[in-house]
Amino acid sequence: MYHSVCNLSDLKPNVPVTFEVDDRFVLVTLIDGEVYCIDDVCTHDGGTLGEGEVDGNCIACPRHGAKFDLRSGDALCMPATEPTCSHDVKVDSGTVLVQLRD
Amino acid sequence: MNAALIASESLGKFSREGFDAFVARRIDPIWLTEKRRSVWETFDAMDWPNPRDENWMRSDLRGFKLDKFTPVDETLTLEPTAAPVRLRDGVDMGGDISSVNGLVISQSLDPELAAKGVVFCSLSKACRDHAELVKKHLHSLIDSAADRFAALEAAMWSDGVFLYVPRNVVVEKPLHLHSAMVDGGIDLAHTLVVLEEGAQATVLTECSSEVEQGSGFHCGGVELILGARSNLRFVSLQDWGQKVWAFAHQKASVGQDATIQWTVAAMGSRFAQVDQQVELVAPGASSYVNGVMFTRDRQHLTYNTIQRHCSQHCTSDFLYKSVLQDRSRTVWRGMIKVDEGADKTDGYQRNDNLMLSDHARADSIPGLEIKADDVRCTHGSTSGRVDEELIFYAQTRGFTRHEAVLMIVTGFFQQIFDRITIESVREALGAAIARQVRQVD
Ligand code: FES
Repeated sequence: MYHSVCNLSDLKPNVPVTFEVDDRFVLVTLIDGEVYCIDDVCTHDGGTLGEGEVDGNCIACPRHGAKFDLRSGDALCMPATEPTCSHDVKVDSGTVLVQLRD
Repeated sequence: MNAALIASESLGKFSREGFDAFVARRIDPIWLTEKRRSVWETFDAMDWPNPRDENWMRSDLRGFKLDKFTPVDETLTLEPTAAPVRLRDGVDMGGDISSVNGLVISQSLDPELAAKGVVFCSLSKACRDHAELVKKHLHSLIDSAADRFAALEAAMWSDGVFLYVPRNVVVEKPLHLHSAMVDGGIDLAHTLVVLEEGAQATVLTECSSEVEQGSGFHCGGVELILGARSNLRFVSLQDWGQKVWAFAHQKASVGQDATIQWTVAAMGSRFAQVDQQVELVAPGASSYVNGVMFTRDRQHLTYNTIQRHCSQHCTSDFLYKSVLQDRSRTVWRGMIKVDEGADKTDGYQRNDNLMLSDHARADSIPGLEIKADDVRCTHGSTSGRVDEELIFYAQTRGFTRHEAVLMIVTGFFQQIFDRITIESVREALGAAIARQVRQVD
């Protein structure tokens, strides 16, 4: 099921925004005109990524510095070794909709 | 929205107005009202736990919104619920108390026990009828300023249980407490147990929600005070609905040559964080703590345990075992603290975790803080995934996968079952565990 989270016009390029969707926290980011969504959870020790530093497509966990790809959720640097979950996104008449994967 | 409407809405919340209305509705003695007011100030001045705090850094509280909940109105008459009761089956109880949303709705005690001076009743009633006793012990162990949840509980607990067993009185039959919560409800309840010198008792407590998937908010406190040579068996089964936020501070103080056997089983809630402490305050005190956690879906259960040796020749033994399914997570932090001069300490802690899914996660963080020289303190921890070969072997013997997993899980918990001395509790726990087992993916 898709949940509407915001308007496309609310998103600034490469600035992730945290939303609560169905009891979970996710990061929605506009990158090169596409919208992506990943869990706002670091797979190293469960830290929240939202306040981490962004460098292009990647965000660093403020706790121990693990980095994740904001598009795919892939873990890019230690100490995280597993990807964080990525979710399906679609834009419908200017509204950003998110569907959680498991 | 007009001003009157805003005012009446805030009356129902955990705001200053909501607190004032709560206090005004109650018939508390003055000393208690004053105590509540002073802790409310502490609560009001505090922030929610800092995610950088070691105790809370693995706990994502962002989804918890206190505003979604309403303080209970004790002027309402609450009806019994259909929330399951598991520890009462086939046991002849010496006393029984039931509560709904943190308010006691029925209470009974064997008249023979009452004649011996045993008190087992609602905590609100005890504050009026046994003021001196309660005043002396209530919130004497738990620091109301430990965090914002402890402060909220101390300021706004709605009811709970008071057990008092006089000197050398032995309560043979178990005493039972069931706390129920309706969907979207709250439970701010406190359990206070005081055993005088040489007293003995068994207390079975359990909590559950009317709806299995139910939401709600539990913020509780447990204080167990054991006089010299007393003996307490305390069991608590946590089976809140799968969307409940649960926070608790639980602490026991064990006197000279006294023994506590404390069994904890945690299965329910969406998020639970429990701070459990046992303080061995006089020579020869012993504590045996058995913990079982069994999680599923996206449950997140945290136990922060401290076994503190304040005196010499004391024994503490903590064994926690968790089985995790789906994408659930458990965090266990165990600390043995040995104070200066607490020689001849014998402290042991262990945490074992069994993962039934690739996506589950168990954090096990044992610790020691020892300031005495002549001590024996050991700790250990294991974590592993269920052995596929064992399952396959059982399947070749005609068991289904589900049966095989259940056998493995039961075997994993066996060590804890062996340490539980009350048969009905073993059975109830076994049944609760069987209900939780899913197919392994
Ligand atoms: S919790 Fe994110 S790097 Fe450790």
